[in-house]
Amino acid sequence: MPKLKLSGVSKAYGATVALRRGDLEIESGEVHVLIGSNGSGKSTLCKIVAGSVRPDSGEVLLDGKPVAVSGPQASRALGIGIFYQELSLAAHRTVAENICLPDMPVSAGVFVDKVTLEERAARYVRLFEDVAGEGFSADAPVNSLRADQRQLVEIMKALASEAPVLIFDEPTSALDRAQVDRFFEILRDLKKEARAMVFISHRMDEIFAIGDRVTVIRDGETVGTSRIAETDPAAVVRLMVGEQDELAPQTPEPEQARTTTREVLLSVSGLSGPGFVNIGFEVARGEILGFGGLHGQGQSSVLRAIFGAGLVSAGEIMLKGERLAARTPRDAIRRGVAYVSGDRGRDGVIQGRPIIENVTPIHYLRNRLTIARPSALRDKALRALEALHTKFATLSHPINSLSGGNQQKVVIARWLIDRPDILLLDDPTKGIDLSAKADLFALIRKLAEEGMGIVLYSSEDAELLNNADRILVFNGGSVTRELTGADRTRYNLYHAAYEAA
Amino acid sequence: MAAEATLIPRKTSGLKRLFERFPFLPALVILVVLFALNGFYQPRSIGLVGITGLLKTYMPLMLLAVAQTYVVYAGDIDLSVGAIVSLVNVTIIVLMQQWGGEALPVLGAMAVGIGVGLACGIINGIVVAAFRLQAIVATFATSIFFTGLALYVLPVAGAPAPAAFWRTYGGRFAEIPFVFYVVVVLAVLLYLLARTRLATQLLAVGDDAQGAFQSGLPVTAIRMKGYALCGLFAALAAFCVTGDTASGDPLVGGKMTLSAVAAVVLGGSALSGGFGTVVGSVIGALIIGLISSLVYFMGTPSEWQNLVQGLAILLALMAGILVGRRARA
Repeated sequence: MPKLKLSGVSKAYGATVALRRGDLEIESGEVHVLIGSNGSGKSTLCKIVAGSVRPDSGEVLLDGKPVAVSGPQASRALGIGIFYQELSLAAHRTVAENICLPDMPVSAGVFVDKVTLEERAARYVRLFEDVAGEGFSADAPVNSLRADQRQLVEIMKALASEAPVLIFDEPTSALDRAQVDRFFEILRDLKKEARAMVFISHRMDEIFAIGDRVTVIRDGETVGTSRIAETDPAAVVRLMVGEQDELAPQTPEPEQARTTTREVLLSVSGLSGPGFVNIGFEVARGEILGFGGLHGQGQSSVLRAIFGAGLVSAGEIMLKGERLAARTPRDAIRRGVAYVSGDRGRDGVIQGRPIIENVTPIHYLRNRLTIARPSALRDKALRALEALHTKFATLSHPINSLSGGNQQKVVIARWLIDRPDILLLDDPTKGIDLSAKADLFALIRKLAEEGMGIVLYSSEDAELLNNADRILVFNGGSVTRELTGADRTRYNLYHAAYEAA
Repeated sequence: MAAEATLIPRKTSGLKRLFERFPFLPALVILVVLFALNGFYQPRSIGLVGITGLLKTYMPLMLLAVAQTYVVYAGDIDLSVGAIVSLVNVTIIVLMQQWGGEALPVLGAMAVGIGVGLACGIINGIVVAAFRLQAIVATFATSIFFTGLALYVLPVAGAPAPAAFWRTYGGRFAEIPFVFYVVVVLAVLLYLLARTRLATQLLAVGDDAQGAFQSGLPVTAIRMKGYALCGLFAALAAFCVTGDTASGDPLVGGKMTLSAVAAVVLGGSALSGGFGTVVGSVIGALIIGLISSLVYFMGTPSEWQNLVQGLAILLALMAGILVGRRARA
């Protein structure tokens, strides 16, 4: 008998069907991988189990008995713990308080039992002690932590539920390799305790490293479950994308001919600021320059500094031979610099506003338009959105009605109405499914061929290796290695990223 | 670990940590400066009599700022606190008139007053948290409603409080003014409340209501408890108003509402919720009090007093933000 079974679960938000028919069976003592493109309904399925979304129909069986998960509290009481993809942390509370928040230990009925709270939190903090990185402690407020550290807190919070059923909705998207390895060790231990676990990730290597079985969801429907041992990545991807057979494009070797007409668009020299020291590089017209290395080695800070969103203490940035000293993103945008961040919520999406408003702000800024005329903009917006195969109902739907991948496409589309000279991509595919990634990289290559200079930072090595013409490996805030041509191998990239700075 | 060796060291100054722990420090500095200025223009104002007077007059605002803080913790706001003060004020005045000014009836009236404050708070909680109306408009509406009730209970200002009541508030016990006992009790109360699970839950809701809900917190109940606590402290503020003015006035609290909000902000709390301290709000209330007395002691002509007072509050607000920003950077 499966520990947890969902059959025929569905959920619609108005006209948008988030989940058509979700089926899932999880055994005790297994890590069950859930995979599917963005917007396929994985998160909705998880949230139904966690009680934060109510299904329209279908059945949830726990230990063979049908249960009503009326809310997150009910779900906890049933023994279900969840890691939320978008995190559920209180930014000003400490790590310890966040870990224990769902079930705070109390004394005398009303007071927080600090001793018990700290003991309990310490148990989970200890699990990640040597990989959590600097500044991580039980009494640090969550808003002082880096993204990967916050993700660790959410993991600890889920683990602290000590629930027999644990759901991890993309718990590794911001973690570095050492942190992922530690997390997998913990999952293996939990497996021995006969916990039932759901694990969602877009990284194929992780899925095959930790999963026992895999269930594929496509367009809101469960399309199949198979044992990991009996399948291979290609088969899983085939199930995921269905009719589409083309995957992430294997870029041909960069043509050497391109270098003959090399025209430098962006040149950076001696750039230093918080988190990076003495960075220098050039980006030519038509080139895709990759930034690699472990998480948080200064890649994002450099991109944000060029865009005027981060601080620069020394150095020079030249754009088309002229000094670019953008003090705000507004300056940089007017000069023809574009920036797309993987952190959509913070840097990209204008929450709660219609899609058209999310596509057009750059157009307004660059053309100094002052009056909003949606009708005049429709064609421009539609053309930009179609270039990326964005799926949406109408331009006036709020952006929040779209899946993460489609939201990111909208954010990228806003830069396509008026073409910039330089496109800075700061881990743009974080939490985006494979087919959206394929669309995205096809577009990036096309933009480069049309003469744009592109800087791509990606935390996924395969993306860099497949798409960048050159790769600068960041380590400890400076560039330690440049990989070109045949040097662009996984081995070289790992080696440069992991060696001590 | 290789990954650890590559991390970029971050600077953490002791000052920054201090401000993170005690976000009201800028307000405290402003308070000390104002206190010194008061002493400079009117030396007697920083003596025992002066301080007693200050506390007596501004105790209601201090309590009301505290009341507002618990609501602000959760990212809500209560624009009806002043109206609750008025309603409780006239309720206890009328009851004490009817039941007589002896100790027992006075305590009975105060118990009813506490009940009225709590009830008002719970009504606000239901309207905002359960019905999910916008807090700022919903509590504005209830404030009109509560004022209406107060006018029904006591249509005109002026009914006197029993002598026992205001003599106690303005009097001394064992040579120590009564308000100092109030301060001590308030300090203990705030200390205890800060340690409750409710305080942490309110702040967690203010940080991210959706996250708190998904964590399994009873968000609606928590917000309602915040409003109830607010109503309770508004009732306590009404007692002090009654002790200070020694009379009933159905409109006495109205002008205090926004002063209480200002005190909360001056004290370093975020109106968006999730971050703040009640101690800061108390200091904020005292800053407002010291500004008005300073304007008076400086001999500002009466027609300019409002203008100067407004400017001074703006300055205090700016100074607090500048100091806090610099310390945190």
